[in-house]
Amino acid sequence: MTQSDSEPRQGSSDLAAELAACASGDRQALRRIYDAEGSRMIGVAMRIVRRRDIAEDVVHDAFLQIWRKAGSFDPARGSARSWLFAVVRHRALNVVRDDARTDLVESFEPLALASAEEDAESLVARLSEASALRRCLERLEPTRRALIVLAYVHGLTHGELAGRLRVPLGTMKSWMRRSLLSLRECLP
Amino acid sequence: MSGAPDLDQLAAEHAVGILEGEAAARAAALMESDPAFARAVEEWRERLQELDEIVERPQPSPALWERIAADFQAGAPASVLEFRPASERRRGVPGGLAAWRAATAAAVAAALLLAAGLAYFADKASRTPVLVAVLLDETDASPAAIVSAFADGRTDLVPLRSVDVPPGKALEVWTLWDRSVGPRSVGLIDRARSTRLDLAALPRPEANQLFEITLEPASGSPTGRPTGPILMKGLTATAR
Repeated sequence: MTQSDSEPRQGSSDLAAELAACASGDRQALRRIYDAEGSRMIGVAMRIVRRRDIAEDVVHDAFLQIWRKAGSFDPARGSARSWLFAVVRHRALNVVRDDARTDLVESFEPLALASAEEDAESLVARLSEASALRRCLERLEPTRRALIVLAYVHGLTHGELAGRLRVPLGTMKSWMRRSLLSLRECLP
Repeated sequence: MSGAPDLDQLAAEHAVGILEGEAAARAAALMESDPAFARAVEEWRERLQELDEIVERPQPSPALWERIAADFQAGAPASVLEFRPASERRRGVPGGLAAWRAATAAAVAAALLLAAGLAYFADKASRTPVLVAVLLDETDASPAAIVSAFADGRTDLVPLRSVDVPPGKALEVWTLWDRSVGPRSVGLIDRARSTRLDLAALPRPEANQLFEITLEPASGSPTGRPTGPILMKGLTATAR
């Protein structure tokens, strides 16, 4: 069961206020963050760790860290939403980096370049038409676009991407470097 | 960060999350020590964050918030994180890229072995399984055990090789048929030996159901979930 994308979401300024409340010891504020963002956080973690039960563990750990580190959030440095999701992604990436890929089911699926690109295309297509990120990603050629999107969404490393696309590691690193540079030049 | 293109590049890669090893450690250290670097990473996170907005949004299990809240009640929040994180209770064997690559080879090997296994069982009409899973070794993807489920509900595990089991440890057999339920224990053995698995309380096995064996304390996993490294795993296929 998933919630609809059109459901109203909490603005980042509200989240910033909730984080400030967490920093002053208000546990209800943490619960409100959980209610507003918990399901999306599980979705983000699942794309990386691939298993629902592990994704929930990631979100569990993330909320303990959010509580502990809420005081270090600085609204001048970035939005509360990107701060919150960075905590979740960081935790999920640590799980897959430290524990290797213990995913139970997905490792049996074939890994083809065509499906990687298709996967990335369908993700990009879900971005808003008005999105600068979408416009800039669409300027990249399909393989380069897939690199950035899959690296971010599934938490793949240079080495894993190189293996998946069957190119040498050095080539992968230089593709990634140039793709990010192109993206940087295009984005505001 | 226009004066330091290399650092901006590292910041971008850190925000994307593709770094590993030394580069990842360097980025983590710079996050703490270099405010300009941290700012560059923040900017990249903002740029990429829309990719988190488009995610599927599964409903959290009702128990998840209770688990989080229970950790707060168990002690001061600042000390809670000193405990082993929930997600580290399940440690896998090192694999990474090797595991990804092995998976493809493993799928081929499994198909071949499955054919061989089915031919073997076909001789024994009275014991023809309805489902068979070949469990592959996690390190070298070689066939390590066979799980056979029979029409009358019996499900047997037959190892194809011995396994080093350290003192005080045992092999625990798990099955996963629904990721929202998670893996369930169906057997605990002191060493690799043939055994009847206990699936009586579970739904009847189906094709593509996962079986795996992890290394656990001799009395079984303390958490009811796999805690030790996965030694072998495989998916069921319908016997024809």
